[in-house]
This record gives sequence, structure tokens and C-alpha cells, in this order.
Amino acid sequence: MGPSWLDVFPDNLQSLLLKLPPSIFPQLEEIRIREGRPLEINTGGRYYFLTPAGEVTRNPQAAYKPEKQDSNRLLDLITNHSLYTMEEELRKGFITIAGGHRIGLAGRTLLSGGKVEHLRDISGFNVRIAREIKGIADPILPKLLDFKHRTVHHTLILSPPQHGKTTLIRDLARQISSGTWGHPAAVWPGRKVGVIDERSEIAGSKRGVPGFDVGPRTDVLDGCPKAEGMMMMIRSMSPDVLIVDEIGRPEDAEALAEALHAGVRVIATAHGSSVDDLSSRPALAKLTDTFFFQMYVVLSRSEKGLAFKLWDSKRRGVPFAGAAWKGGEEHG
Amino acid sequence: MRERHGRAGKSMVKMFGAALVLLAATLAGWLQARQFAARPNQIRRLILALKRLETEIMYGFTPLPDAMRRIGEQAQEPIKSLFIRTADNMDSKQQWTAQQSLEHAAMKLWGNTAMKGSEQEVIRQLSYTLGTSDRQDQLGHLATAVRQLESEESAAREDQARYEKMYRSLGLLCGAFIVILFY
Repeated sequence: MGPSWLDVFPDNLQSLLLKLPPSIFPQLEEIRIREGRPLEINTGGRYYFLTPAGEVTRNPQAAYKPEKQDSNRLLDLITNHSLYTMEEELRKGFITIAGGHRIGLAGRTLLSGGKVEHLRDISGFNVRIAREIKGIADPILPKLLDFKHRTVHHTLILSPPQHGKTTLIRDLARQISSGTWGHPAAVWPGRKVGVIDERSEIAGSKRGVPGFDVGPRTDVLDGCPKAEGMMMMIRSMSPDVLIVDEIGRPEDAEALAEALHAGVRVIATAHGSSVDDLSSRPALAKLTDTFFFQMYVVLSRSEKGLAFKLWDSKRRGVPFAGAAWKGGEEHG
Repeated sequence: MRERHGRAGKSMVKMFGAALVLLAATLAGWLQARQFAARPNQIRRLILALKRLETEIMYGFTPLPDAMRRIGEQAQEPIKSLFIRTADNMDSKQQWTAQQSLEHAAMKLWGNTAMKGSEQEVIRQLSYTLGTSDRQDQLGHLATAVRQLESEESAAREDQARYEKMYRSLGLLCGAFIVILFY
């Protein structure tokens, strides 16, 4: 028996993936299926193609090419045989399966009134495997503490896609809610955490129950749009810290401003590779120009590990020792 | 004395055999007639089940395996086992698609129903589209299947009117014919 994400693959692809050498299999991050083109896998910044014998190669000619039948079966299994329940997901372009794994989809879009109405002829899949890495937030959490109010600072985490933002805020949620602050002077107990998990990625919820360890005092609003979700959480669940993933739309920024003024601490993530990028994004510029966030964390990952850089609200670099997180325990 | 006794015994066996033949033929005819009576009813129930499936898809957004199981549990045999078997196939570890699951269940269970190949063909065609498109599209395919089944149903009702009584008496008559021939 393999890990849970293997269940969505048709048996022929499953047996190919199970033949992967043990040096690669646990490191898998993305599996990309493109109809009629080589089957690709990604591990920590490297890519390989898979041959029909289950060996890795860089030669596209020697690779296994998934057929129409493979992609049809994969789609059927991903959607639990019910594509019609996924209309909203298809509009957004991805489906999250049990375990918090996200599957990006590419095909032909159908428009209605200029907006994407539906995705059909789906022929490209990107299975992104979610990993729970406990302790990944250890190096930065002590830097985010607000000793005066015995909580954490408003924080915005920035990184390009695929650099571990979601893994990081999942661990932050767990540690904030269990009160393992990682600082000798931080002696206050855990805080109530509210996670707005629009894509079911942070908590990996199945039927409303988190699949990952997000801490004992954490509430998860699963599948909820962020802007609405933040307001709902503040009204109904009285969180001390709100955690949201991938803000970027104008309404997100508005809701964030609302939350920041409601006395709730917010930890959010956004796509970007440096603090200066933010000013060029209209929705986020409004927030960052007014010193809402007290701390910015920029993530970058190389083959050596994960590196953090910190900036304060006035965008001055914060000196930071031990800036890299290397290896450790991994939970599939 | 002994010979007479033997002759009487022989005729007893003969009588018994004749009665057995008569009984068997009557029963066969009766069963055949019952098939003719059951077929339109089962088609009707299948149509009703498909209409419930339509509601589950259109308004309930219920995933196909759950919808199949729910409808199956409330339906009567043989629709019950068809739907539940399909749901089991979909939920199993075999990695079957909806199409394989439904087609396989229909293939295994169709022999237990009074329905014929043409109804199975409708289900087989439906299986290719079930669960693989948006709601509007699903609705269209289900409506087509229901229309086809309705025409099969009216054909089955005609058959019932024409053959049900005939087969019932035909069985008895056939039995009588065989008995007369060999007695």
C-alpha cells in the first residue's frame, strides 16, 4: 500500500510510480500527466520523465506517454466519478482531493459572458503532493512573537509557487495553537487559531475534519472564499490569530484590513519573491503601503533546503541567524 | 395375480410421470408468463430510479457512488442490487471508472432480472457518460436514457398483453400434448 494520493491514479500509472527508486519516491512533489506527452515527476527542484518500465530518464522520447484512456480514468477517479459536483473547482482550475493534495487541471475552457464557465477536454494534470513537515516553522516563529500582547505579529509570507508556503503556515497554525513558541521568554499558552482554507490545502479536511495536525485550538473553515471566510470567522469563532493562504484579490485585501482592525492577528501568504514586488500588485500595495503587516517573511528554496529572509513593517531587513531549515522528519 | 399387480404398478408409474410432465410444463409456461408481466414493471422502476438519480445530480450535488447507494437502498429488487453493486464497484480499490462499474454490475446482474438485452444496452450507453460531464449534460443523457426505456416499456406492455395469457395456457397445453403423445 502506498500513500493516500496514489489512490487517484489508474492502476497502470500506479504501478509505474510504485516502481520508482526509494531515493526518489518519498521526495515526490509533483506528478504531471499530459495526454500524449511524457509522464513527468518533480522532486525538490529536479524533474524526470518516467519510462514504461518505471525508470527515470531525461529523454522525452523514451518516456511513457499517457493515453486518452489514462487521462479519462484519472479524471473519473479524481472527481469521485462525479464531475458534475466539481463545477466550481473546474472554474478555478484545480481539485483538492482527500489528504490536501491539489490537482491542477488544464484543458479547453468554455466561456460564458467573458468568464470561464467550464473546463472540458481536460488533458493536463498536475498532482501536487501535500506534505506535513512538523517543525518547519521552528526557525521563524520566535521572530514573529509580539511579547507586549503575548501573541504574534501580523505577518505576510511571500514566495514563488512551490516553495513551501502552505507547509509553513500549516506548521505555524499548529505551533501557535499548541503554544510551542520556541522562545525561552514566551511563556503564554496557545492561542485560538482560525484557518480559512479556501482550497482545503492547509488542513487537508475531509468532510470538515482536518487531515493534518493543525493544533488543538484551531478551527478550520473549509472551502470558504477568503474574504467572506475571514469575516465569518471573526464574527462566529472569535479567533486570536487568523491564517489565510494566497491572498491577492482586491476583496481579500479589504477583508484583511477589516480583520487587522478587529484586533485579530493575521498571518497570510501571497505569491511573490521579494517585498518590493508587492508595491507593483495593486490589491496588495494598498495593504503593504500602510504598514499593516509588522513582519514580512520571504521564502526561497534550493536543493540545499529552505531559506528565510525577514523584513519589518518599514521594509528594513531583520538580521536572522540560522536562516535555513535542513531536512528533519517528514510526514507523507 | 402377480402379473396383474405388476401391470397396475406400471400404470401407476405412468400416471405419476404424466402428472409430473403436466406439472412441469404448466409451471414453465406460468414462469414465462410471469417474466412477461414483470418486465414492464421492472423497466418502470428503473426509470423511476434514474429520475431520482437526476434529482440527486441536479439539486443534491451528490457524488455518484453516494447517490447510487442511497437510491439502491430505497429501491426494490432487482434495481436495488444493480445500484448497490455499481456503488460498491465504484468505491472498491479496483480503480474502476463509473463506466466500468455500471457496465460490470449490469452484466453480472441482468440475468436475474426480467429485463432484456435492449434495456441493458440503454444502461450500457448511459454508463459511458455518467459522471463525466457537467450537470446540464448529465441531465440530457439521463433524459435520453429515460426516453429510450419508456419506449421499451410500452413495447414490453404490448408483449405482456399479447403473450402473458398465451404462455400461461400454452404451458398446460404443451404438457397435455406430450402426455398424449407418449401415454
